[in-house]
Order: sequence, then C-alpha cells, then structure tokens
Amino acid sequence: MSAVTDLAVERRYRAASAVRRRTNFVLFLGPAIALTFLFFVIPVLIDIAVSFTDLDRTLRISKFTTEQYQKVFRGDSRLPQVIGLTVVYVFGTLAIFNVTFGLVLALTTTSLNKVSGGFFRGVWLLPRMSPSVLYILLWLWVINPSDVGLLNQFLMPALGLARPLDLMTSAPVALIIIANGFIGASLGMIIFTAAIRGIPEHLFYAAEVDGAGTLAKIRFITLPALRWPISFVTIYQTLSLLVSFEYILLLTKGGPFYDTTVFALYVYRRAFTSGQYGYGAALALFLIVIGAAAALLGWRFFDFKRLLQHPRIEVH
Amino acid sequence: MAAPLTFNGIHSSPTAPVDWDRMAARARSMRRSKAVALYAFLIAVSLPIILPYFWLVTIAFSARTGVADTVVLWRSVAVLAPAVIAFWLAAVLARNRRQLWLGLTAIALAATAAFAWLVGPDLHLRNFIFLVEPDFASVVRSRVGAVHGAIQFPSVWRAFGNSLLIAGSQTIVVLTVASLAAYYLSRFQFPARAAMLRSLLILHAFPVLTLIVPMFLMLYWIGLLDTLFGVICVLVAFELPFAIFIMKGFFDAVPWDIEMSALTDGASRRQAFLLVVLPQVRNGLLAVAVFTFIRGWEEYIFVFTFLIRNTNWTMSLYMYYVRDDVMGVDYGVVSAVGVFYLVPSLILYVAAQRYLMQMSIGGVKG
Repeated sequence: MSAVTDLAVERRYRAASAVRRRTNFVLFLGPAIALTFLFFVIPVLIDIAVSFTDLDRTLRISKFTTEQYQKVFRGDSRLPQVIGLTVVYVFGTLAIFNVTFGLVLALTTTSLNKVSGGFFRGVWLLPRMSPSVLYILLWLWVINPSDVGLLNQFLMPALGLARPLDLMTSAPVALIIIANGFIGASLGMIIFTAAIRGIPEHLFYAAEVDGAGTLAKIRFITLPALRWPISFVTIYQTLSLLVSFEYILLLTKGGPFYDTTVFALYVYRRAFTSGQYGYGAALALFLIVIGAAAALLGWRFFDFKRLLQHPRIEVH
Repeated sequence: MAAPLTFNGIHSSPTAPVDWDRMAARARSMRRSKAVALYAFLIAVSLPIILPYFWLVTIAFSARTGVADTVVLWRSVAVLAPAVIAFWLAAVLARNRRQLWLGLTAIALAATAAFAWLVGPDLHLRNFIFLVEPDFASVVRSRVGAVHGAIQFPSVWRAFGNSLLIAGSQTIVVLTVASLAAYYLSRFQFPARAAMLRSLLILHAFPVLTLIVPMFLMLYWIGLLDTLFGVICVLVAFELPFAIFIMKGFFDAVPWDIEMSALTDGASRRQAFLLVVLPQVRNGLLAVAVFTFIRGWEEYIFVFTFLIRNTNWTMSLYMYYVRDDVMGVDYGVVSAVGVFYLVPSLILYVAAQRYLMQMSIGGVKG
C-alpha cells in the first residue's frame, strides 16, 4: 500500500519537476532566443531571399532572378575600385593606428606615473566616448578649407601656403584613415595597457641587471608578451573596420564621387541612396559571410572550457 | 668600493677610483631627459584631440558672429597652458603639503583673474537659444539676413525625450532579458547548452551593421519603419548577445554556496535567482545598464536609416540636421547643441570608467 503511494508521489514529483524544468527554460531563455531568432536569423534569411529578387525603389518584388549576382561578378565596373579602396583603408588604418599607434600609446603611457599615464589615456579615449555625429563635426571644423579652420591656421604659416588646404578634396582617403584611426587607436591602447600591466615586474629588473636598455626590454620582454593581445586586436579591428562606415558616411558621404566609398558604405549607398535593395542585399551577403567567419575565428581568444563550466545544482 | 669591473665596459685603472657621483648624476640626467621626451611626445600627439574639444566649448559659450572664431580659443589657451605648467611645477617643487596648497591656490587665483579679464567679457549663453526656442533656426538666420532654411526643427526637448525613451527602454529590456538568459546559461544544465554558448560567442562578435539592409526591409514589411518602437526592438536585439556574455561572466563569479544555502532554506530556483543571486551581481547590472544606455544615446546609423519624421528625431539626428542647416550661418548654436549632446554621455562614461576595460572589447566602433 505505502509502496504504491510512494511510487505515485515520486511519479507526481517527477512530472512536476519536468514541467518546472520546461517553464524555467521558457521563462529564462525564451525572450532572448525569440529576439535573437527574430533579429539575427530572420534578417539573414531575408537577405538571402532578397538577393535573388529585383527589389528596387518601389519595394515590390516582381520576379526572382540571379541577375544581382551576375552584376556582382561581371557587370559592376565600380566594384574593383571599391574593393581596392577597402583594402587600403582597412590595412592602412590597422597598421598605422589601431595596432602600431595603440602600441606606442600603451608603451609610453605605462612608463609614466599612474596619474599622468591615466590622463593621456583618458584624452585618447575622448573620441571613442563622444557621439559619432559630434566627433565628425569637430573634424569638419578642424579641416575647414578656409583660414578659420584649425588645421589651416597651423599649416598655412608653417608650410607657407597661399591658399587654405582642402583635405576633403585633396586627400580624402588619408582623412578617413586618420579620423577612424583616432578612435581605433584607443582600443589597442586599452588592451595592450592591461597586458603590459600583467607582465611580472621581476623580468624587467632581471633584464636591467643584464644590461638591457629600454628598447631591448621592449623588444625581448614586452612584445613577446603582447603576441596574443596583438593578434586579438588585429582580428577584431579588421572585422570592425571592414563593416563599419558610420564615420565615413558622416565625414565625406563617400565622396568626392566614389573616392572614399569603402565596401560597407557601397552596400549602404546602393541600397538606400540608389534604392537597389536587391543588389544591396547581394553585396551585403558577402559581408555577412566574412563577418560570421571572423566571428568564428574570434573563438580562439576565449576560454571555452571556462565558459562551459558545469552547473553544480541539479534542482530545477 | 673599488670595483674591478665597471659598467659600460669601462675597465678603470686600479689606481683611479670610479667617480660614482658623476655616474649617478649622468644616470639621473639620462632618466630626466627620457621623461621629458616622453611627456613632450604624448603632449604633442594629444593636442590634436584636446584642442578641437576645447574649441567646441569656447565657441559654444562665446561665438557671436557667423564664422567660427579662434580668438577666444587662443586667449583661453594662453591662460590655461601656463596655469597647467605652473600647477605641475608647484606639485614638483613644493617641499611640504602647506607649500603645495599655498602654491596651488595662488596659481588658481591668478588663472581665474586672467581668465576673467581676457575671456570673461566674451562669454554669454545666447547660443543656447535652441533650448527655449523651437524655431531657433529662423531666429539665427534673421541675425545674418538669410531667411530660408530647408529644415523644420522640432523642439530640442522632443529629440531629447526620444533619445531618452530609446536609450532608457532599451536599457530596461536588455537588462531584464540578458540577466534572465545569462543566469540560466550560467547555472542550469540542459541539452544543447554547449551549442547555445557557442552560438552566443559567435553572435557576440558578429557585426550587426551588415544586417542593415534586410532589417530595413523587415521593418518596412511589418509596418514598424519610422516608429520608435521598431528602432528600440532592433537596438535591443543587437545589444543582447554582448550583454548576455558580460552578465554570464558576472554570474559565473557568484559562489555556489550562496545559492545552495538559499535552496536548503526552502527557496525555489526562481526565488534564489531574484532574492539571492541578483543582488550579488549589482556591479554587472550597473555596468551593462550604463553601457547600453550610452549606446542608445549615441546611436546614429540605425536611427538615421529607420526614422524619417522629424517628430521621431533623436538627439543624434537633431545634431546632424542642425549641423547641416545652420552650420554656415552660426557656429555658436551648432556647438551649443554639441555641448548639450556630449555632456550626458561624458558624465556616464566617467562614472562607469572602471568597467570600460572589459566592456569595450565587444564594441563595434572602428
């Protein structure tokens, strides 16, 4: 008799536990899964679908074709120039600012005392902390092609120019590289600073005793310790430079003509300025694939085992 | 103290003792010149950043005419640069605390007096006219005689409210959804947990800007284009993977014992989460909240693409159109709007700077 009731109680308990398990899953993870599915998975599917249509300014689909992809691989004569510019822009910014200059900033500020180093790092974080519209507004004023522009007030007397310099038309690519680089340098700076702080102090003392100078210490102690942070910054910043076009759109609008239109901005201009949504979707698909690939590559930088650490409570 | 072998490979003759004092002096001067070179380099590379921001502030509080003047900027620099150098010298030279305070006070007084004399007469608040006058653009234009403008501006408080609404509701939703999901991922065992964590890792690095074209079409088809609600949904979804990632880190750091004793005392898992674990991750919640809010406050590209009507403008769009419309006419108003827009995000950043390190890693800014 009692064994039967025990069994019934246990069965009821099991059933209740299973129900609770399911409701907990829906309650805790449901909203996140739904939002992710709605705004990550479905847009990718829409993008793939739309890239096989002739969707244009009218926002109506009249037929399904592969003409967008024919255009990508054959028809678009502007594309080679855009891709070339993208390569120059991404690797130029990365090599000059995000990695090299970020490293220089980290090395110099960590060799000062804490307060001064923090001050200069704070200054270099300012562009990242200010809203993009405002940051670019300041650039527009600085390079203003008249004698009130801040840059021209310095350069005209220094270089003995008769007429004010107009960087927007004479050196637009350099301009977008510098404007993005000022922001990009700070990420490298922060990550490298943290890494340098983590190097055990006694290594430097030992090197000093062995007669190492400043450069030798950097070459043989600091740089080897920064191998992983440098590759992390390189991969992440390559990705973000490749897909972001906000600052370029605000600064030069991709002009003059198509001179500063990088690939991501080209997608944007094709879709939203010329209204060729189908073509834009086809071009965007390449970016999505590259983005997903780079995100997969980013795996290596996280300790997945630690992320996966197993829960220790079995109650639901 | 005679050393048979000295530094730098100099083998001194055993009779002449090494001049330790001279070597020490040389090392000191070496170190000092190195420090000076470092400071000079850092000041030189930081000036291109400091000067424009400083310029923005001076124009906002002093510009009168149409053009962007640099007179006030140079005058304030002429006051501030010597003051900063004097502060630094005082800090280095002062022998004790009393001397230091005396020196600092004297310098501060002198700098304030010089500032009041050189710059004071130029300062005014008239550029902040946009705060009270919705149609400030026509007022500004009438000052210089130009009449027509292309853009109808809403009241700045409307844009301010929209930005606050977007950033605020985004923060609340992200915080709720992310802490629920992060807690479950951190503390519960379920099938597909590893797969889910893997996809979280990928999503957290995935560049959402690539989805802007399909997202626009999707919002158009479900009728949410040009609505604040649509923009909030998109921004929430895009912030989510990063927020979950960060929150999971914070939950992982909470000791299991706390939860176990809560369960032993008869709490359910849900109660343990709400009443025991959640208070433990207050720092994480705060960090995620501040950063989500800033991201919403600064957002430009998605609101620029998805919002059209001027009653839906956020602060970033307001700033953008003010720049477009009255830029050539009045720099003063443009920079006043800029200061008004910049200050809230700067305050939040400074307040949350402790968390900047771990949070900025997932950012998408180039």
